[in-house]
Amino acid sequence: MAVDRATLLAWIKPSPPSAEELAAAARLAPGDCEIYSEKLNAILDEAADVFVRTGVSSMLHSGDLVVGIYDPAGNMVAASCGVYMHAVTAQLPVKFVRSHFEGEPTVGIHEGDIFYCNDALYGGIHNPDQIAIMPIFHEGQLLAWSCAAVHQPETDAVEPGGMPGSAKSRHWEGMKLSPIKIGERYELRADLLEMMENFMSRAPRMQVVDVRARVTAADRIRRRVQDLAKAVGAPLLGGLFRKLIMQSEASARARVASWPDGTFRAVSFADTVGATESLVRAAITARKAGEKLTLDFTGTSPENEGPQNAFAHIAAAHMAIYLYAYAFHDLPVSAGTFAPLDFVVPDGCLLNAGSEAAVSQSVYACWQALTLTPIVFSKMMYASQQQSLVSGSAGNNHTVPFVYAGMNQWGGRVADLLGYPFNGEGLGARSDMDGVDCYGFPMAHTGLGPDVEDVETETFFLHLFQNELRDSGGPGKFRGGTGVESALVLYHVPRAVISSMGATTRVLIGQGLFGGYPPPAAPGIHVVGTDAIEKLGKGEPLPRDFRELAEKRQLGGQYRFERTTRASRMIGKGDLVSVIASGGSGYGDVLERDPARVARDVREQRVSPRAALDTYGVVLDAASGMPDDEATARKRAEIRQERLAHGKPWAEFLAEWSQRKPPEDMLACYGSWPDAKPVRPVMRL
Amino acid sequence: MDAPASVAVTEYLEIDLGTETWHCRRCRRALGPAARSYKEGCLVHARDPRTLYPPEVEGERYSFAPDPSLCLLVEFYCPGCGTLVETEALPPGHPPTHDIELDLESLRRRAAGEGKP
Repeated sequence: MAVDRATLLAWIKPSPPSAEELAAAARLAPGDCEIYSEKLNAILDEAADVFVRTGVSSMLHSGDLVVGIYDPAGNMVAASCGVYMHAVTAQLPVKFVRSHFEGEPTVGIHEGDIFYCNDALYGGIHNPDQIAIMPIFHEGQLLAWSCAAVHQPETDAVEPGGMPGSAKSRHWEGMKLSPIKIGERYELRADLLEMMENFMSRAPRMQVVDVRARVTAADRIRRRVQDLAKAVGAPLLGGLFRKLIMQSEASARARVASWPDGTFRAVSFADTVGATESLVRAAITARKAGEKLTLDFTGTSPENEGPQNAFAHIAAAHMAIYLYAYAFHDLPVSAGTFAPLDFVVPDGCLLNAGSEAAVSQSVYACWQALTLTPIVFSKMMYASQQQSLVSGSAGNNHTVPFVYAGMNQWGGRVADLLGYPFNGEGLGARSDMDGVDCYGFPMAHTGLGPDVEDVETETFFLHLFQNELRDSGGPGKFRGGTGVESALVLYHVPRAVISSMGATTRVLIGQGLFGGYPPPAAPGIHVVGTDAIEKLGKGEPLPRDFRELAEKRQLGGQYRFERTTRASRMIGKGDLVSVIASGGSGYGDVLERDPARVARDVREQRVSPRAALDTYGVVLDAASGMPDDEATARKRAEIRQERLAHGKPWAEFLAEWSQRKPPEDMLACYGSWPDAKPVRPVMRL
Repeated sequence: MDAPASVAVTEYLEIDLGTETWHCRRCRRALGPAARSYKEGCLVHARDPRTLYPPEVEGERYSFAPDPSLCLLVEFYCPGCGTLVETEALPPGHPPTHDIELDLESLRRRAAGEGKP
């Protein structure tokens, strides 16, 4: 049976060193750690490159991957990402294999073994994330483990695409492998590959090719580490592994200690729970004292019947995405960085649901918490030497993964996620600069959006337009980076299946920072039966963005403005569907934004003339487009006076505010109002 | 070494360590005791988010605009200068968050140079 969730959470932290490891670390000569840690990084970068070149799924190319080296106990030594949370969670199935199979005569751990798994109950994020794990032996002794993981956009679930919005329990979510041995003596077993191909009949080629890609990447690490062990000896590597973990722990403790002590809180609200519309709350409280930091998710809404649930280790691992990119960006990516962190994730909240819960959209539950992480850390770090890392949130939760499935124009069965919606998100603004426009995938900083031409070659979509989305960056003294809008028209085939999953359509999930605003939400758009292909053929005018499409309706067809979460549906040739990547949060008071920056944003169509005047208070000269300084000063003074006039003292505001409440039908999955405690049992089929 | 009189805690807020009081960094207006939330010393306004993100399609439930029955932008202004000190997107009626609660003794020690890296 799966290990209990508390154990999985505990396994995120490094296990204590053995006396041998400490002695080996002490014996390292000056320079050993610096030289050979870089060697490990070079091995991992090579393996990541091999991985991407070997596999085919869009998420592999979008960067949703990790390759890593783990010590014999399963502690992360070094990783190349990809997505940092996978580096953290890859420890857990290794620790499971060690604890459950090492002494089990029917399984055992032998040189040449290849383990494989994808069930979150054994340490993963959700079952699209499949991982290959190989023990690395040297002279008959277990020296290390190699891991290679990537998101597989098909899981044999009740809907195509691996993250079914309709899932109501784990039994709707398709293939879930506890750690199993799919290869021995460095050979993959044909019968188990056949089993997986059979499971993934919607996209069998992708499954088999990507299993081999994972194993190829893990094996490349294995070979290089064995070569290194031959060259320098296993004792040096054992000492190096432990020293890297100890160094990262010491550095993380010093970093945490450098921030002011205190308690920092934030909340976020979404309006979607799978197929249901309901408000849900994510809450995070960071308690910092000395070199210890506790991240407490108490106050998060209860688990629900949909797929937007997670387990505690999943929520904790998501924090790695922020930590390794910002607060700990200059520290080694190894298990030691989590040593000073404690996590409180109450049983029964949607971040720590029961084991029968559907968790296929766990990332949306966790992204809601993740979007708060930069906010609480920025409030912790402003009065420290990390002030330059203070930042608003990236898009995360507004971006809507888009799934397509069917028979492509080459007669092949496909079921995949469109990669570039993630790879077009804007970053959060910082204390000294705007968020990066159309940055990329904030969970996977090395990912690359696929070329439109490649997507059109592989699939059945025509891109009618793909632009930076105007007004999508949260306004502020420094603006959040803009997101991207894409219009896809089904072109080559008569029909296909699409779906998309998101967490909000009518609610602002993100929070701004220090007076900045969160980025906007956006609807889903589906125009059934357009004449876009005919107009294209005739050279007739076509819409250039969604706002123009919505306003002018240049295309024929039936217009649907809908939730961003769309259950699997059939679309026909000529149908248009929207895909939107969100912008980042803003930083600081909009009235402090340099008017010249606003003028440039308007000129480059990142900000509308309306927002320039109404939001930023910048009056632009109609002829030149440059700011009118005097008129701008007057306009901004007016806005300040309006603030002072309509702002109410705290007690007066609260007296009115506390009488208000959202509609009852939007609190079905929220929990008690307003503190989000469980109020009803969750029934699962 | 003399401790500085105040510590900048956010872009717009500082704490006067002598009086243990929040202050606006733009106009020096006092915003109340540092042991409590600075928000209690601000002017507060619940802004309709559609004034920031207006609907792009008329008559549709899903229109690019946030729904004010579910989400409002609560804005906290310095009562002295009108600077927008902080915002918070909240459902109507949800209590504003006590977002920064510093250990003042620790802050004072840090300001005096103890414990700095």
